[in-house]
Amino acid sequence: MCAVCGCSDDHHHHDHDHPHDHPPQDHGPHGHPHPAAGRARSIVAVEQDILAKNDRLAAGNRRRLLERQVFAVNFVSSPGAGKTTLLERTIRDLGGRLAIAVIEGDQATDRDARRIRAAGARAVQINTGAGCHLDAAMVARAIGDIDPARGSLLAIENVGNLVCPALFDLGERLKVVVASVTEGDDKPIKYPAMFRASDVAVLNKVDLLPHVDFDVAAFIDRVREVNDGARVFVLSATRGDGLGDFYSWLSAQVAAEATRTLAGKVAGAGLA
Amino acid sequence: MHELAIVSGIVDAVTERSGGDRIVRVVVEVGRLTAVLPDALRFCFEVVAQGTAAEGASLDILETDGDTLRVREMEVA
Repeated sequence: MCAVCGCSDDHHHHDHDHPHDHPPQDHGPHGHPHPAAGRARSIVAVEQDILAKNDRLAAGNRRRLLERQVFAVNFVSSPGAGKTTLLERTIRDLGGRLAIAVIEGDQATDRDARRIRAAGARAVQINTGAGCHLDAAMVARAIGDIDPARGSLLAIENVGNLVCPALFDLGERLKVVVASVTEGDDKPIKYPAMFRASDVAVLNKVDLLPHVDFDVAAFIDRVREVNDGARVFVLSATRGDGLGDFYSWLSAQVAAEATRTLAGKVAGAGLA
Repeated sequence: MHELAIVSGIVDAVTERSGGDRIVRVVVEVGRLTAVLPDALRFCFEVVAQGTAAEGASLDILETDGDTLRVREMEVA
């Protein structure tokens, strides 16, 4: 058995089992001999995005949502920033005027989906098990299950994690990152990938400002530092501060989605 | 953990094109802004490649600026 890779083939060579650096772009001759250089080998150009499969599925989700003029938002945050509380409050305050459905992502339990249903909206729960993020395939199945109504708001609550979900397009229209004043006001520069990938940053739990050392202006500056186009909402999902602006923005987005059409198609024509 | 999903993407991309040839080396480009750890990629690659045409292949990671995640090329034998 091969001692390097554990396979049963005794005759192949591991010619890269010594460390050496490949400078970017340099595919010319290396300055050391390759023991298997006599063997017929060839370089094959691949040039494929690693997340191409996820991106294809996300594009399918986006098309499906566009056909129904559903405004989909991917809510991301660290655990405990208040995504579910913000959604519960939004459902209670806007549910009479707006059809809202929620896809809940957590490693385990359906606790969040039950909270959403208790607030008055339809919800499906995705449990990712060991997984740290939702991907487009999971969301495709969930869209099929929840069957969002034409012209509705579909909130996708991602797994609480400020790193991995930034990489995985789910087919949403916008990403909203939620931070809270019980976290550091330097979160945007500590997790720049997520704040850069998001269209909107929500700062939650401002009712707790008297009790914590958090500089709201510094937080907003740091959001701008990594993403100068991001829209920022400062609010408290429990006490209600700042929710009016957030709701106006959200309602306007849902209304705008209803005016979008697939290229070359008349709105509403030939759709399920 | 997301390195596992990324490595699955790498292994799929190369095995789909290998035409049954054994893959001995894979070159990927990983942007520093993607928050993907090269060491975690290498570890996962070894595991995910087992039982595929890429089993035992080396993984060369070119770290670049930006947020690209791309398989550049592979060497087959």
